[in-house]
Amino acid sequence: MKKVTVQDQSTLEKAKCHAAAIGVAMKESIYPLTATVQYPRQRKKMPDNFRGYILFDPEKCINCWECAFICPANAIRMKEAPNKKYYPTVDYGKCIFCHFCIDSCSGGALRTTKIHDVAYKDMDDMVTLTEEMIEPPEIIREDKTLVEYQIDKKDLQIKKTREVDYLFVDEVPPSVEIPMVSQCIDGASCIGCHVCEQVCESGAISSAIANGVMRMKIDTDTCTGCGLCVKECSMQILKLVRK
Amino acid sequence: MEQVINELLETIMSNQLNVPVLQPILDSVSQLPMVGLIVSFILWKPVFALLICPGLSTVGILLLFFPWIERKLCARIQWRVGPREIVPWLGGLIQLIADTLRFLFQEVIVHRDAHRPYFLQFPFLSFLAALLPLLFLNAGNVMAIETPYAIQALLALVCLFPFFILGLGWASNSRFAFIGTVREAFMYFAYEVSFIIAVLAMIILFGTSNPMLMADKPWGIILNPIAAFTFFVGAAMATSRMPFEIPEADQEVAAGPHVEYSGIAFGLIYVMCYEKAYILAGLMTVLFLGGGSGPVIIAGLGELNGVMWFLIKTVIVLTTLFVLRTIYPRYRLDQGLNIGWGVMISLSLIALALSIVLVQGGVI
Amino acid sequence: MEKDEINRNMHILKTGVLSPAKRWSSKWSLWPCHFVTSCCGVELAHAFACGFDGERLGTLNMGISRQANFIIVEGTITRKMARALRIVWEQMPDPKFVNVIGACGQRGGIFWNSYNITRPSEIVPVDFFIPGCPITPESLLRGVRAVQDKIDGKDETTIKFKKVALPSDGTGQESTVPTSPKRFAPTPLVKLDIPRDVDWAFGSTMVGNLKSQLGGLYKSITITDKNRIAIKTAPEDLVDVARKLSGNMGLDHVKSVNVIDVPHERKFILEYMVSSYSSSELMPVIISIFTEIGREAEPEFPSLTPLWESADYSEREMHDFFGIKYEGNSGMNAKFLLAPETQTPLRKDFKLAEESYVYDESVPLNPEIELTSDLKMPAPEELYDEAEASDEFMILVGPHHTGSGHLRWILRVKGDRIVDVTPDPGYVHRSMEKIAENRLYIQNIPLYERANISDPFCMNLGYVHVIEKALEIEVPERAKYIRTMLAELSRIGAFFYDSGIFALFTGHSTGFMYVWAIREMILEATVRMTGSRCTPSFIIPGGIRRDVSKDVLDMISNFVSAVNKRLKKFEDIFIYNPVFIARTKGVGVLTKQEAIKYGLVGPFLRASGVDYDIRKVEPYEAYDKFNWEVTTGDAGDCLGRYMGRYEEIKQSLSILKQAVDALKKMPRGDVISEAVLGDYKAASEDIKGHFYHAYGNLVLPKGEWTSVVESARGTLLHSIISDGDSNVPYRSRIVTPCWMNLRGIVEASKGERVADFWTIYGSFGYFPPEADR
Repeated sequence: MKKVTVQDQSTLEKAKCHAAAIGVAMKESIYPLTATVQYPRQRKKMPDNFRGYILFDPEKCINCWECAFICPANAIRMKEAPNKKYYPTVDYGKCIFCHFCIDSCSGGALRTTKIHDVAYKDMDDMVTLTEEMIEPPEIIREDKTLVEYQIDKKDLQIKKTREVDYLFVDEVPPSVEIPMVSQCIDGASCIGCHVCEQVCESGAISSAIANGVMRMKIDTDTCTGCGLCVKECSMQILKLVRK
Repeated sequence: MEQVINELLETIMSNQLNVPVLQPILDSVSQLPMVGLIVSFILWKPVFALLICPGLSTVGILLLFFPWIERKLCARIQWRVGPREIVPWLGGLIQLIADTLRFLFQEVIVHRDAHRPYFLQFPFLSFLAALLPLLFLNAGNVMAIETPYAIQALLALVCLFPFFILGLGWASNSRFAFIGTVREAFMYFAYEVSFIIAVLAMIILFGTSNPMLMADKPWGIILNPIAAFTFFVGAAMATSRMPFEIPEADQEVAAGPHVEYSGIAFGLIYVMCYEKAYILAGLMTVLFLGGGSGPVIIAGLGELNGVMWFLIKTVIVLTTLFVLRTIYPRYRLDQGLNIGWGVMISLSLIALALSIVLVQGGVI
Repeated sequence: MEKDEINRNMHILKTGVLSPAKRWSSKWSLWPCHFVTSCCGVELAHAFACGFDGERLGTLNMGISRQANFIIVEGTITRKMARALRIVWEQMPDPKFVNVIGACGQRGGIFWNSYNITRPSEIVPVDFFIPGCPITPESLLRGVRAVQDKIDGKDETTIKFKKVALPSDGTGQESTVPTSPKRFAPTPLVKLDIPRDVDWAFGSTMVGNLKSQLGGLYKSITITDKNRIAIKTAPEDLVDVARKLSGNMGLDHVKSVNVIDVPHERKFILEYMVSSYSSSELMPVIISIFTEIGREAEPEFPSLTPLWESADYSEREMHDFFGIKYEGNSGMNAKFLLAPETQTPLRKDFKLAEESYVYDESVPLNPEIELTSDLKMPAPEELYDEAEASDEFMILVGPHHTGSGHLRWILRVKGDRIVDVTPDPGYVHRSMEKIAENRLYIQNIPLYERANISDPFCMNLGYVHVIEKALEIEVPERAKYIRTMLAELSRIGAFFYDSGIFALFTGHSTGFMYVWAIREMILEATVRMTGSRCTPSFIIPGGIRRDVSKDVLDMISNFVSAVNKRLKKFEDIFIYNPVFIARTKGVGVLTKQEAIKYGLVGPFLRASGVDYDIRKVEPYEAYDKFNWEVTTGDAGDCLGRYMGRYEEIKQSLSILKQAVDALKKMPRGDVISEAVLGDYKAASEDIKGHFYHAYGNLVLPKGEWTSVVESARGTLLHSIISDGDSNVPYRSRIVTPCWMNLRGIVEASKGERVADFWTIYGSFGYFPPEADR
């Protein structure tokens, strides 16, 4: 345990402290440790994992709805596309940029950008439809210089380079690919409602009647491990397991 | 009639500002009938003092650019940049013009509880009142009203300001304005006595209260540093600068007396604060920094040399006064009063004693 | 009306001979009236501090609405605050502009279905909306630029999307719409005393002790977890039990007051969590006393305030939430946190809007928010009369005041002395507890983080600990070290935040700027690590979202030594400034007894001489592996509180150093516990791609789970009641340090001078969003 006590300053100490305070002001007025990023003309370099606006790749989407389900702010809603699949839309009037959606996306269809400085005229424009999330958007930019904060052993250093930052990050797929398949863990409880068969996107689930009892069959090769059937199973007897 | 005009002309011509550099231009201009008269009228020292320096034009230019200097310097000390984007290549020099224009065009709100006539009159009155002391301020050899009692007159007029601030606060009829006004009244009495004694000390020391004569003497700050310190602290208190920004404490009483003012009315009050600081800085220059005395750097400036030195010194004092806000937090009201009535009065009395000793000892 | 208002402003600028000058001057002189309403204010401060310096654009922050011409609405506008926003807007002279920053102020962000928030766009006309939670300083400045462009006549959204046709080929098969992932048990089992077998020797002696002390007053005494004991009593016995506990056992403060609504069993469960500051062996123990009463419209129950003063404000809060009248508590005749029109929102029959997962243009995006036409600020009429009668002067500080933060203080002064202070909190009450009951366990991580974005990691940690405790998850070693490092980083950041605000409150703007530069370094490290400046949501049950790279570790270890240069300057100009010391020394003294009585927490309790730090009392993460000391003080004044924290930060820097050094030696990888990941254990280095699989369906075992952590401003208590079936909490209670310290500010201010109020307020590091939740 450490006790902190503050002694009264004597007049001499007070004078010293006054001098020190004035000294700092004088020194800083000559050699300031300015730390300013002059934003509209300069832009601060953000790391690649920066959480900004979200881009979407429909090719990789397995239509699992997990981004919509995990979104704490309910900013992501699924919109039906012409191919009858549901793709995400993001409402930036709600989005909190936690990127739980990106971390949930097992196919790597969602990815981040370094765009974050945007002003909307109208709140209705803030809903970004799926169509608008595919190509990188354009923002008004005035920056000519890129500023990078670096911390060395002595102080914060501000490195300025005359370049325009590229705001988009190449896709980073999930670092670990774990192929998963759906598996029925309690076949005896199956009531034969066919829900899993209906929801399966890849057609991996088929039903067969054996000995007068209907049984579901899951083809492990075609199963993408999206987990839709697991979620929908009325008896909760399906489980995702490693391939 | 003709005689009166001739006498007047003679007075004007006998008291012209002497600027050798400008003389050839003036000579050629004086050939022209009306222009010559106007130019010589402007160069008539009292008029020059009133209109150019230290009078209206200087005040105007200072008001437009000094806050910029202050903001830039404070920003620099605070590791920032300060106003800039308005004209990047000039470092945002004209920022204050934008601010002033904006205040000018903005709506002036007189709220329901305010005393409407006074609420609108006091900003203008205080602005004018803050101009009056300029009559007795000298820049080198230039002075509007030359009198041996200039310092006393100036001091008397300076002491008028707080009444207008009290008026502002009273007319605002708001809780924060009320507290701010009461604080201003308290602080007024706290600094005034020591402030006047410090000036008195200097008058005794110099043996004259004519600022023109003071310039020939050694600098007051060297002769009587205690008086200088007392005066400076008194000036900080009078202009509500840190650490004595008690009446206008933004975080406590939300700018106190000014809380309800908007638009150009606030603009005038804002300007008044700077005017007040300018006059006190000018007085400090005259009393302690040798006024307009200084070496001739640009030959041929003649009497303008004194004006230049006066301005340079005043701006330095002003800057010091304003930069205090980056160094100090704010004292509490009772601490401010303690300092005013305790430390400062003691110091001013010591300064007075020092002056008397110096005069008696024949140092000056 | 709204659009007309916006047009009117532009009309003023566009008419008249002088219109170019008007436009030019307005453009370069947008003075924002800093209407700090919520956590976005932290980033606003960053935008106007030395990191980004908004003053460059000619926008000078002005606290007084009459002189400003621009409002930046920082996030949440609650029902209580709505009126203030309208008043401030009306006070400003024309022409004026409004920007709304942060998701809360648009469609509510994470609080979109809260019962207490409104939409600023329905209150004042808004020029621009800036997304983010919180926004970044850059986007705030982009908003300023957008307004400037608008004045120039270029009124447009600054982002343009390119539309790409979606694939139309495919199976053509109708895909079904899955049901909501949330699962509510129809008749949940709510039991607070579910025994757990734990290795806790002191527990059984403690239970024996309690049994003999309480005689026949209890129904059951259960060990629910290590250091947690639950005592069930009959309603009429609770006061007697409390009296015995406070008198004989030395349990001297209340940590939390809780009510659980169980409508299907027609009962309320009333709970008090008590603990001790005076006896060192009882310090880690939290005893929960609870009883069940009938579920009536306005049930009455005797207040425990006479025994434990620290229960006062929490009882008022429960009165707001559930309508329970605590007899004997003086605050029962008015609402404390809520606006008058909100009735008992935490009862289970008060429903929030449901999530919709399908985009449908015909469905409005926002739940309807009913704004009562009379958004009156609850004016305490009787206070005016009382003040008048006793010849006192009343000062209303806030909710919009340069030195109030987002709450209102009603000061009653006599001369220059404060007679009484009445707090009026709730201006940022965003109903976290209610929202948490309607979200998946994992979705509450960002939610609870928003309680205090100046101290995000500690907020994360508190909530995550409950889940880990309940599920008995052991966190991997590396993750423990990283979490410790993060928690200390955020503690340092929060201290500098408070220093900056303290400096401003004493009128020292340079002090504010200097610490904000240091905070900029901390945020730089945070953004490199997590991708977000203030709201990382990085700590998840069982570990952290992804491993930290070596570069960032180097950066943090450099930070520990680099901070000294700027800190020295800050010390010279602010901390040891004689004026600052004169302002703070001997001001707002709370003695040890008072501090305990009013239930202070954290560094402010320690400044009064109580040696209580949860990091030592009930060590978590890797704190027991490092060499550090708890700092206490005896003075109990403003300076003592501040210097105590300053010393604590030096300890934190040393912990940070030790943690980084240890981490550098550790091999990379494995930062998420296998116990949570299960089948996805290969993702233990980076959760990317498997987040929902692993965490979407967390269910806590039934019972009550309580965790305490030492956040930057003191004890943060999280308590979750789970029914063991639903994948959402049945009841989630968060008691934040600032909420507990509120009473301390009130008591310390009494008898001091008016100007001292701001010093005391600043010295407590009060962060209103954290207090109001």
